Amino acid sequence: MNNNFSFLPISKRLFITLACLLFLTGCWNSRELDDLGIAVALGIDKTQEGNYSLVVQMINPSEIATEAPSTRPPVSLYQSEGETIFEALRKMTLSAPRKIYMSQLRLLIIGPGLAEEGILPTLDLLYRDPEFRTSFLVTVAKDIEVEALLSVITAYEKIPANKIMDSIIAAESHWAATHGVYIDQIVSDIRSPGKSPILTGILLEGSEEAGNNISNVENVDSPARIHVDHLSVFKGDRMLGWLNEDESKGYNYILGNVKSTLINFPCEEKESGKIGIEILRTNAAIDATKTGSNPSITVTLEAEGNVGEIQCDLDLTKPETLQEIADKAEEDIKTKISAAITAAKEQYQTDIFGFGNTIARKNPTYWKEVEKNWDEHFKETVVKVEVKLDIRRKGTIVQPVQKKG
Amino acid sequence: MYRNNTISPRQFMYLVILFTIGSSILIVPGPLAAGAQQDGWIAALLSLAVGMLLIFLYHKIGILYENKTFIEVTIDSFGPWIGRGISLFYILFIYILAALVLRNIGDFMTTQIMPETPLQFTLILFLLVVIMGARSGIETIGRSSEMFISFIVLLLFFLFLFVTPQIETDNFQPIFGSGLKPIISTSFTMLGTPILEMVVLLMIYPEVKEKNKAKYAWVFGMLIGGVFLTMITLLSILVLGSDLTALNAYPSYELASKINIAGFWEGIEIIVAIVWMVTIFFKLIILYYASTKGIAQFLLIDDYRTLLLPLGMGMVVLAIVAYPDVAYFENFVGTSWFPYALTHGLFIPILVLAGALIKRKRKSKK
Repeated sequence: MNNNFSFLPISKRLFITLACLLFLTGCWNSRELDDLGIAVALGIDKTQEGNYSLVVQMINPSEIATEAPSTRPPVSLYQSEGETIFEALRKMTLSAPRKIYMSQLRLLIIGPGLAEEGILPTLDLLYRDPEFRTSFLVTVAKDIEVEALLSVITAYEKIPANKIMDSIIAAESHWAATHGVYIDQIVSDIRSPGKSPILTGILLEGSEEAGNNISNVENVDSPARIHVDHLSVFKGDRMLGWLNEDESKGYNYILGNVKSTLINFPCEEKESGKIGIEILRTNAAIDATKTGSNPSITVTLEAEGNVGEIQCDLDLTKPETLQEIADKAEEDIKTKISAAITAAKEQYQTDIFGFGNTIARKNPTYWKEVEKNWDEHFKETVVKVEVKLDIRRKGTIVQPVQKKG
Repeated sequence: MYRNNTISPRQFMYLVILFTIGSSILIVPGPLAAGAQQDGWIAALLSLAVGMLLIFLYHKIGILYENKTFIEVTIDSFGPWIGRGISLFYILFIYILAALVLRNIGDFMTTQIMPETPLQFTLILFLLVVIMGARSGIETIGRSSEMFISFIVLLLFFLFLFVTPQIETDNFQPIFGSGLKPIISTSFTMLGTPILEMVVLLMIYPEVKEKNKAKYAWVFGMLIGGVFLTMITLLSILVLGSDLTALNAYPSYELASKINIAGFWEGIEIIVAIVWMVTIFFKLIILYYASTKGIAQFLLIDDYRTLLLPLGMGMVVLAIVAYPDVAYFENFVGTSWFPYALTHGLFIPILVLAGALIKRKRKSKK
């Protein structure tokens, strides 16, 4: 059977070809690019009546593609309400010109009201529907309505959702006081009994009214700016409150999320000059042991850094000086880690670090005993912190510029 | 028409690999993770060990009558009436399995890729190609397996390589956290799909040359395919965690969607989905070829090809009516499939082997 068709008469061959044409002309489900309303950010909150209110930021393709500046905004905002998120999404066709296409979604912002009420029911659709990918960040609006936040037009990056996502990623890898959480991570964290979730906060700086206008980006210093904030603490799927900057950083130290950051402390107790240490990489490990009836957790952090900035006349040629600086920096890291642990233990009384999961891994039988009311045991857990910082280099000069001869 | 009906042991091995991966890659990781949590991959390995024992049994039957398929052996040993009765069960098993596999790919397409396309069109289009393949005969199937196996292996390695950065080693601890019991009970999942389904291969085993090599080809084929399945399960657990692996309907697809190369190459899960299209295609060809051939031998029809089209129409309908919704299917796979597969993959082969041995002994006495 060298050729399947050679033995067929010409009429049959023609028939088969035509049949192929019939089947192969196009996909049933095909949607052309000009039928799609590409959504880049989605805001969800609850109304007073208990309905979901949705805000979608949709890109205006002609504005994104054009090189010439125009007065039309690069994105448009559409809103709708519904008893379910799905209903609200479909209802949006009443105001939006096209059916919303969600695969390019970059950002989900949850309103403060919904976050306090519990977010897990909201996440079901976003994780179930095949049109949603898992590559978008979940964030919480801090002290502001979602709508106001998504209305802000940003300079630098034309699409505000991209700007927020880039900001989160940049802040995460260079400042380390925040941490981007993707949809599958938050679903997994909420469902896990040994870890409480955290989410990044987003807030607005400047005036709400100014952000909504294209003139916002006509100024060098935009009157309204979107700002990435610190971490919010959840227990289960309800938001309890916020960590401050130091606690957020401490949290990221513990979980090994810190890629690069900066540590500041004064040279001497009373002097005004300060030292800045650039952390280049960290390596964190959490270990659990059981002492008596309570579990004990050891957090070990190994970090490597450089001397970044010196504002006083220390003698940097001496190895002891570097060691002293390293000791102080270690102390600073320890303080931040302890601050985070104290906040979790005393203020929020929930295990945001996943210590419970560590215990589940190391000692599964003990975990079965405490799993049910882990947060109670978490308060009693002793946490030991060990930090080891190596300062390797000091940049392109050997001494502080203030130091003479 | 040129016709030659043998395949080499190497081609057979490729077919076994494709058969093992096909459709199991979609439906196995979830239940494994649901049953044994982070130990799901150990359960998979366990079932492979049992699979090796099964293959020795199948091989025994295969070499009993060198050139006879399982149906012919059964009819031969038990006589035309009882033999046909037993064969009927076996044929129905293959036919239903083929319909379920067809429905699997249909469900996958309508869930993940083309939610608005009616199921029957996906099924018809897929089955048309399968019928064409089955029409070409086992030799063509064997040769094309040689061609496609490299795609499959490369794509799987591509998947494995590019999800490794996302691995969180914490996810697979504690090993043996909840003891051996859940591992053993979960291994039945993979034992049912695909290990016991391999009994179907007895329908093409007579067409494999060099039987002494063929045995090892079968074992290696199952081990390679099984290790790929284990790797998929392990990586799903490592990347997504056992909780999300069990939560997802198609964790392997979810795993593929995690590929992110340098921040701009993402969302390429559909390329990796070629793996399941092709492997399911081959599994379906083997099942379809085996069932039409079995029915032809059952009805004493010389050429199985005449049956291809009518049985195909039946299969599309069966695939649609086989189960009303996916929840029914999940329940069916979880509770009924293992005993069903065990009956046809273990008990009937043992029965037939015993019958054939007794018959042979009587013959030699005479």
